[in-house]
Amino acid sequence: MRAYELIKETFFRGSYIWIVHVAWLTIYGVYWWLFLPEQPEYGKFVFTWGGFLLPLALSAGILGDDIASGRICVLVTKPFWWGEIYIYRLLGLSLQGAVNLILAAVLAIALHTLTRRGSVEGIGPWLLATWLLFNATAALSTSLSVIVRRTYNSLLLLVVIASGYFIVSMLMGYMGPQAPKGVFVSFVKYFWPPFELLFKFANGDYGKFSLTVGKYSVPKDIACVVHSLTLTVVYSVAGIVLLTRRQFSRERD
Amino acid sequence: MLAQRGNPTGCTEEKAAVVQCRQLTKTYQKLLPGSKKAVCALRDVSLSVHKGQIIGLIGPNGAGKSTLLNLIAGLILPTDGAVTVCGHPARSVQARHGLGYMPEHSAFIGGYSAKATLRYHAALLGLSRDAVATQTDESIERLHMDEFAHRPCADFSQGMKQRLALAIAIMNHPQVLLLDEPSNGLDPIGIVQLRDLLKELRDSGTTIIISSHRLGELERLTGDYLFMHRGQVISFGDKIMTSQAGKLCVDLVSGGNEIARKLLPASKVLSVTDTELVIGLGDPREVPDIVCDLAKGGARITGVLMQSENIEEVFLRLCNERT
Repeated sequence: MRAYELIKETFFRGSYIWIVHVAWLTIYGVYWWLFLPEQPEYGKFVFTWGGFLLPLALSAGILGDDIASGRICVLVTKPFWWGEIYIYRLLGLSLQGAVNLILAAVLAIALHTLTRRGSVEGIGPWLLATWLLFNATAALSTSLSVIVRRTYNSLLLLVVIASGYFIVSMLMGYMGPQAPKGVFVSFVKYFWPPFELLFKFANGDYGKFSLTVGKYSVPKDIACVVHSLTLTVVYSVAGIVLLTRRQFSRERD
Repeated sequence: MLAQRGNPTGCTEEKAAVVQCRQLTKTYQKLLPGSKKAVCALRDVSLSVHKGQIIGLIGPNGAGKSTLLNLIAGLILPTDGAVTVCGHPARSVQARHGLGYMPEHSAFIGGYSAKATLRYHAALLGLSRDAVATQTDESIERLHMDEFAHRPCADFSQGMKQRLALAIAIMNHPQVLLLDEPSNGLDPIGIVQLRDLLKELRDSGTTIIISSHRLGELERLTGDYLFMHRGQVISFGDKIMTSQAGKLCVDLVSGGNEIARKLLPASKVLSVTDTELVIGLGDPREVPDIVCDLAKGGARITGVLMQSENIEEVFLRLCNERT
């Protein structure tokens, strides 16, 4: 019952959640109708909107709103491990992402079937990559929501990630492909939500390449999925640690 | 006795205590550079609260009342000292099993109805599906919320919010109930219902700690108070009420000034006219002796009236003594 209520809450915590869902599907439908996308344009669109902007919008203030309003003060006096609040809310977000992406796929396939326009080829890997990116971004945003008041977690994340990638692309632009991989570039590539890796995965860039570490060798596609899931877990653990160690108080009287 | 200052004593008392605070200190650190020094909200507070007691937590704004409640609820961590609830460290899951908490400002999911909110909180308690339904219906009936049980919380008045918050706090019969300004926004009927409910809970063995500025209401509920001032417990238990029992008004035919000068120490005389003497009392048992001495000293008494100090007067007196 507890898990069910905490997951359900992520769907009903504000009317804007439904506005976000409807807006996403509307934008998606309009884009498809107007631009009749082929791969990889379709992938880029669904990947950016569904994997990055959608989780940011859905996770805005996911814990910060409760902390700012004081609602969390009652939740955390209930007899259960506080980490459950985090885990079930993230699960709720992940479910919302999955439902939305499935609806988007159904919409694309329906439009393609009815009109014989556009292309739905390779839609599976793109949706999987988008969902993996959605989870990583949602976990990072939820963790940030433990320490950032109200809905600023999403805004902050948007600014930081956009700035990070802008700086990386500037560095690459100035120094060319031979640019030395500094700590910052490596950090952005491997510790931030895995845009580049998942994009290549969905786009089929890895082909049959394998990642070899010592005597072990795994297909790069699988390594990419594992990397993405690991990042999601790492972000989540950080958020849970922050939440369980946090103090909650509105008044000092 | 409910509370102690300094070191708590007596092993038996510690065992029986439902809430135990030992040398609690809470300092809020300022995080921003350039801001003023840290604020000490609570300083070396020790107390024991026993089963079935109602404790009124009183004190001026900034005294540390909410900080103490938050520490007992486990919402914040003490800088020094320790709190146990039902024998378990505050903030532990075991301690929270026996705890009900109602904050001063309650917030709910705006789209949820009162019933859905109660169901949500009952589920958080880990109850089964049937128990959730039973608890929800029971709470609605107990707090007289039938009229607005299906309305969304976003439309609630302050009084409705208070009822809902209280219903959430008393769900599943907690052993310790922490209430922060529970009567805020309640209408007179609601206040009477709240009083009856709290008395009923006390009689069933629930320990209740209430922080409130409505002293008249507190007085009707309990004689046990914890007066706090600048983060310290100044006075505690029913000592507040007995420390100065009130005043004695003596009506005389004449000669009040002379009698006061001759028979009473100046510190005892609060006011005097030719026909009326007002004498400060430390203990109501002094009254027969005072009246007897006055009569023996030649005072022609026409009337005697003892006025007990109510909690509001005690509060003001304690505040004035400290400022």
